[in-house]
Amino acid sequence: MDKLASRLREDAANIEVRVSDELDRRITASLERVAAESRDTAPRMQGRPTFFWWASSLTGLAAAIAVIAILNIEEPPAPLSATPDNFVADLPVIDLRTETAMLAGPLQKELDALESDLRKAEERIRSDIGL
Amino acid sequence: MDAFTDLVRGYRERLLRFLLTRCASYADAEDALQDTLVNAFRYIGTYDPRWRFSTWLYRIAIRNAARQRQVEGIAADELRDESSDPLRACIAHDESENLWATARSVLNDDVFAAMWLRYAEDLSVGDIAKALDRSTSWTKVNLMRGRRSLEGAMNASAGNEEAYG
Repeated sequence: MDKLASRLREDAANIEVRVSDELDRRITASLERVAAESRDTAPRMQGRPTFFWWASSLTGLAAAIAVIAILNIEEPPAPLSATPDNFVADLPVIDLRTETAMLAGPLQKELDALESDLRKAEERIRSDIGL
Repeated sequence: MDAFTDLVRGYRERLLRFLLTRCASYADAEDALQDTLVNAFRYIGTYDPRWRFSTWLYRIAIRNAARQRQVEGIAADELRDESSDPLRACIAHDESENLWATARSVLNDDVFAAMWLRYAEDLSVGDIAKALDRSTSWTKVNLMRGRRSLEGAMNASAGNEEAYG
């Protein structure tokens, strides 16, 4: 150790301080208060018997096993068929012919008018060219 | 609690001496010591055994002193006022010239603390860094600067009769 370091150490030791009796009592009282607070909170943590933790663990384990078993053992629900057997019977009856005639009537008239126009046009052309 | 009291009994005077360098008065240093020991007892469960126990205590002490200064609205520079410095008041009882009084004049607060922990408490550089919450390189550099400043001041006051360093 060099000269400065040893001098610093000596001088630090020469600084006189003393923990007074009053400070000692204050520190002891504060520590006792903290220790009492710790004791008050400790029983809540330590009040449960040892087997409580075993019982909790076993109960949790049993519940987990039961859930896994139920999910895996239960039969899966039957898949829904795309078309039920009585599909045709459930359909409402519609009068398709009547409905078709009603819907196609105007078109037929239009077709007849077009054919008539074509015939007239053909006759006019024939007369024009002298056939 | 008795085991803790026995454990810290040997640190009380050392901590009080250190706290005199960080507090505004002797009474404040006593309060900070009380808070430090109470906090150490309360949080003993968080102590990391990789640290030296004294390093942990000094770290708590430094924080308590800083918190106390903050509450009282005292800046670090005000602690070095010669008229009210509790460390100088204790040194005054000593007849010989005390290097720590000179260090108090020439070093700033953190460098003084690093020098104190190194030379008065014999803590390693790593422990000082942890206690002051600084990097190892900061601690090394400032210990070196602190030494140079102190040597310069001592050599100047001694008129080069007794060379330090």
